[in-house]
Amino acid sequence: MRVIAFLYILFLSCGYLAAQDTIEVRQLDTIRITAQRRLRDMGMQKTTLDSAGLRSDITGSLAQVLGQKSTIFIKSYGRATLSTASFRGTSPSHTQVTWNGMKINSPLLGMVDFSTIPSFFIDKADLYHGPSSVTVSSGGLGGAIALSTGTSDANGLSVNYIQGLGSFRTFDEFLRFSYKKDKWSSQTRFYYAYSKNDYQYINYRKKNFFYDDNGNITGYEFPVERNKNGGFADFHLLQDLQFKGTGKGTWNISAWYARTDRGIPLLNVDYKENSSVRNNQTDNSFRSVISWHRLGARDKLSARAGYMYTDMLYQYKRDLGNGQWANMVNSQSNVHTFFTQAEGEWYTDKWMFSANLSLNQHFVRTADNAVVSVEGQQALVGYEQARLELSVFSSVKYRPAERLGFTLNLRDDVYGENLTPLIPSFFAEYLLSKKGELVLKASVAKNFRYPTLNDLYFMPGGNPDLKPEEGRTYDAGISASHNGRKSGWNVNLAMFHSMIDNWILWLPTFKGFWSPVNVKQVKSYGIEIKGSLKLKPGREWRLEADGNFAWTRSLNLGDPVSWADQSIGKQLVYIPEFSSAITGRLGWRNWTLTYDWTYYSERYTTSSNQTHTRLGVLGPYFMNDLSLEKKLVFPWAVIHLKGIIRNLFNEEYESVLGRPMPGINYTLSVGIAPVFH
Amino acid sequence: MIYKRTYRATAFMLILLLTVSCMKYGPAGTEDFHPSPPGEGLFIVNEGNFMYGNASLSYYIPRTGNMQHEVFIRANGINLGDVAQSMTIYSGLGYIVVNNSGVIFVIDPDTFRLKGSITGMISPRYIHFINDHKAYVTDLYQEKITIVDPVSFRITGYVPTPGHRSTEEMAQWKNLLFVSCWSYDNKLLVIDTRTDRIVDSLVVEKEPTQLLLDSNDKIWCVASGNLYRIHPGERKIEHIFPAGDQQSRTYLALNPRGDTLYYLNRNLWRMPVNAGSLPAVPFVRLPQRPYYGLAVDPATYDIYVADALDYVQQGKIYRFDPRGVPVDTLTAGINPGFFCFK
Repeated sequence: MRVIAFLYILFLSCGYLAAQDTIEVRQLDTIRITAQRRLRDMGMQKTTLDSAGLRSDITGSLAQVLGQKSTIFIKSYGRATLSTASFRGTSPSHTQVTWNGMKINSPLLGMVDFSTIPSFFIDKADLYHGPSSVTVSSGGLGGAIALSTGTSDANGLSVNYIQGLGSFRTFDEFLRFSYKKDKWSSQTRFYYAYSKNDYQYINYRKKNFFYDDNGNITGYEFPVERNKNGGFADFHLLQDLQFKGTGKGTWNISAWYARTDRGIPLLNVDYKENSSVRNNQTDNSFRSVISWHRLGARDKLSARAGYMYTDMLYQYKRDLGNGQWANMVNSQSNVHTFFTQAEGEWYTDKWMFSANLSLNQHFVRTADNAVVSVEGQQALVGYEQARLELSVFSSVKYRPAERLGFTLNLRDDVYGENLTPLIPSFFAEYLLSKKGELVLKASVAKNFRYPTLNDLYFMPGGNPDLKPEEGRTYDAGISASHNGRKSGWNVNLAMFHSMIDNWILWLPTFKGFWSPVNVKQVKSYGIEIKGSLKLKPGREWRLEADGNFAWTRSLNLGDPVSWADQSIGKQLVYIPEFSSAITGRLGWRNWTLTYDWTYYSERYTTSSNQTHTRLGVLGPYFMNDLSLEKKLVFPWAVIHLKGIIRNLFNEEYESVLGRPMPGINYTLSVGIAPVFH
Repeated sequence: MIYKRTYRATAFMLILLLTVSCMKYGPAGTEDFHPSPPGEGLFIVNEGNFMYGNASLSYYIPRTGNMQHEVFIRANGINLGDVAQSMTIYSGLGYIVVNNSGVIFVIDPDTFRLKGSITGMISPRYIHFINDHKAYVTDLYQEKITIVDPVSFRITGYVPTPGHRSTEEMAQWKNLLFVSCWSYDNKLLVIDTRTDRIVDSLVVEKEPTQLLLDSNDKIWCVASGNLYRIHPGERKIEHIFPAGDQQSRTYLALNPRGDTLYYLNRNLWRMPVNAGSLPAVPFVRLPQRPYYGLAVDPATYDIYVADALDYVQQGKIYRFDPRGVPVDTLTAGINPGFFCFK
C-alpha cells in the first residue's frame, strides 16, 4: 500500500520530462548550450510546453491545453468564449503574455483571451510562475507566459492537413506548409474552425409548469434547451520565415492574422428568444514581429521590431420585427501597437550578464456608437489615448561553484509620464545531489503592474490617479529528475507566498457608474506540484503520464468597506482552492490511447464565501476525456486518425454561474502528411 | 519487478479516477412556506450580479424580525434569474421584473409559489398597473413600453416611445402616466393611459430615475442629484431642489400619508412635500457610502436603507424607526436594491 501511495504522489507530482529545447537552442552545439541553459533558467519556476503537448487536439485552444498541462487556473465560459488564465490565485490581468517576444496583453483590459489562440499555432509555451515572470515582463504578479512560433528544421517540403469533425456541428480545418532549403525556411499555417455550438442540456434553472383551470400548478418538467447564440467562426493565418545570414546572424519574421466571430451565449436563466436578440463579438487582429539574432562564442545579440493591430467589436442587437436589427450596444475598440526590443547577453563559465530594453507605443480608440448624447451624435462612452511603455531590464547570473548559482535581476518601467519603482528579483539554486538531479530553488521578487488604459481613461469612470499594483512574492521549491534508458521521471514542487497591495478593483461610485480604485490587498500562498513519468516496458510499448496539482489560497486582506463587510480573510471569487490534472498515455506500435482527467474544487461566487446560499457556490467537478489515435504509414503519406470523447461520463456541470457546459461529445480527426520523395 | 508494481499502481489510479466523478449540480429541491398574515411582510429584491444569474428574493417580517433568504428558488426550485429589478403587488399577486432574464415572474406573495410568467420583452425594468387587464412594462432597450394583461400574462400592445429606448419608473395622476427615460436620456414622458400614446414630455437633468405621487397630487422625480416637484395637471416642473452633488445617485421614498419625502444620498434626509427649500441638516447621518435603495414601511413608518457593500456579497439593510433611531441590521441577498411591502 505504501508503494502505491508513493507512486500516487509521484504520479501527481512528476515534472515535464526533459524540458524541450528552445527553437533557437536546437540550432546550436548542444554541449555549449547545456551550460548556458542552466545559467539562464537558474532558480526559476518554469513549465515548458512543447509542440507535442500543445498539439494533442485540433479543436483545442491554448486555454484548454494550459488548463490540462499546468497549474494555471483557466476560467472558461465554454468553448470559443472568453477564457482567461490566472497563476497562483491572482487575476487574469496579472498574467503577462508575450508572442515571439512582443507583449500581447490588451492595453485596454490587461488580459489575454486564450480561447482565441489555437494551440496548433504555438510551437512552444514557457510558463514563468511567480517571481520568474520578471525575466519576461513586469506586471506578472501571478506569472508570465511566453509563446513562440518558428519554422521547421526538416529539409525540403512537408505538408500537413488535418480535418476535424465534431459534435454540435463543429468543423476544424488545419493546413501547414513547411519548406526548408539551405539558409531559408518557411512555414505557413492556416486554421479555420466553425461550430454551431448548440449543445443540448437539461436546464435545472427553469421549469415548464403545468397548470389546472384554476391556475394552480399540477406538475412541471425541466426544459431541455440548447446553448443559444453560441455559434462561432474563427480564421487564422500564420506565416513564419527564417533566414540564416552569411555571418552568425539569423532573421525571423512571424506574421499572424486572426479573425474570430463569436456569439456570446445566453445565460440559462434567460427567457429571451434567440430570434429577438443577438449578442456578438468580432475580433480582428494582426500581429507581426521581425527579429534578428546573432550567437557568438560567448555572447548573443538580438533585436526585434513588431506591429500589432486589434479591433474588437461587441454588439448587442434587438430584432425590430421587420427584418432590421437595432444596436443596443455597439462597442468598438481599435488598438495599434508598435514594438521594439534590443537584447544582449554575455557569458563565461561562471558569469552571465544580460540586458534588454523594450518599448511599446499604443494608440487606442474605443467608443460605443449605440450610446449617443441627447443633443447630438456624440458618443458618450469611450476615449482616445496614446501611451508609451518602456521597460529596461538587466540581469547578472553567477555560479561560484558547480552546485550553486545566484541571479540578480533589475527592471524598471516607464508608462506614459509615470515611472514604476525599481523591480528587483533574486534567484538562488543549489544542486543537492547529482543522482536524481535534486535541485533546491528559491526566489524573491518585488513587482509592479501599472494600470491599464481603461483603468485610467475609460469614459465614464476612468481614474487617472490610480497607482500601480504592487506585489511581493517568495518562492521555494525542489525538483528531481531521472532519465534512464527504459524509464524517466521528473518531479517539481514549489511553495509560494505573495502579497499584492493596491489591487485595482472597479466599484460603483456615488455618481452611479463604476470606477477603479486601489483598494484591495491580497495575500496568496500555496503549493504547486507537477511531474511526469515515462516508461518503455517493452519494445513496442510506451507508457507516459504527466500531471499537476495546485493548492491555492488567495485571500482578501483589504480594508473592509464597512463594519458589515464579510469579505475580509476570504478566498477570492472564482479561485478554486484545489485543482489537479493528469494525462496518461499508453502507446503500442502505432496506436496511442490518451486519458485526460481534470479536477477543480468548489469556487465561490461571493466575496464573503457564502456557502449556505444556493447561488454562492459552484460545485467541484471532474472532467474525463479519452482519445484513441492510430498512425498509418504508407509509402506516399502518413495518416493520423484520431477519435476523442470529451466529458466521458456525460457530467452535467457549470464552470461559471449560469453557463452549463456540454455533456458527452465527440470529435473525429484525420491528418494527412504526404511523403515527398 | 518495479514495472509490475507501477502497472498495478497505474491500474489502481485509473480505477480511482473513474470512480471519483461526483458533482454537485442538478435540480434544486422545493420547500413549503406557511402563509404569513396578509398586510405584513417586506420583500427585498436582490439584483445579484449582471451576467451571474444570482438574483434572489428575501422576505422579512418586521414584527418578528424573521428573515428568509432566497424564497423564490426555495419555493419554486428554479432561479429568479439575472438582475431582478423590481416587484409590485397587485390584486393579490406579486410581479417580479427580472431585467436581464427578460421575464416577469408572477407569484403568490404568501407562498412565494409561481402563478405564471410574462415573457417577450427585451430588458424589462418596472411594471405599473393601469387596471385589472392592463399594465405597462418599461424597458431598458426598446423604444416602446410593453402593454401586458396581468391576468392572462400576455402582451396586448405597445406604447411607442420614439427616440427613447430606455424607459424606467412610472407614476400616475388621473389618466396621465409620467415615465422617466433613464439610460443616457433626460426626459420625462407623459402618456395618456386611455389612448396609450405620448401626449407631452418634460426635460430634466441627466438620467432621471424614480417618480412618486405625493398626497398633494404632485409628482416627485430625481435626476443627477436634483429633486423635481412636478405639477402633473399643468405638466410643468414646479420646483427644482439641488439635493446632491452633480450626478450623484439619489433614492426617494414617501411616508404612507404621502406628506413627507425621504431622500438618500450619502445621508438620509426628509422634508415635507410642500417645503420651499431643502432641509439644512440630515435626518440621519450615515457612514459615507454609496447606498442602494430606500423604503418607508407603510404600516409602521420604519425606514429601510439598503447597502450593497462590495457588490459581490450579501448586502445589508439598515432599519430605522420613524424617529431615525437604528433598530436593526438585516442581511439580504446580493445587491439589494428594491423593496416591496406586502
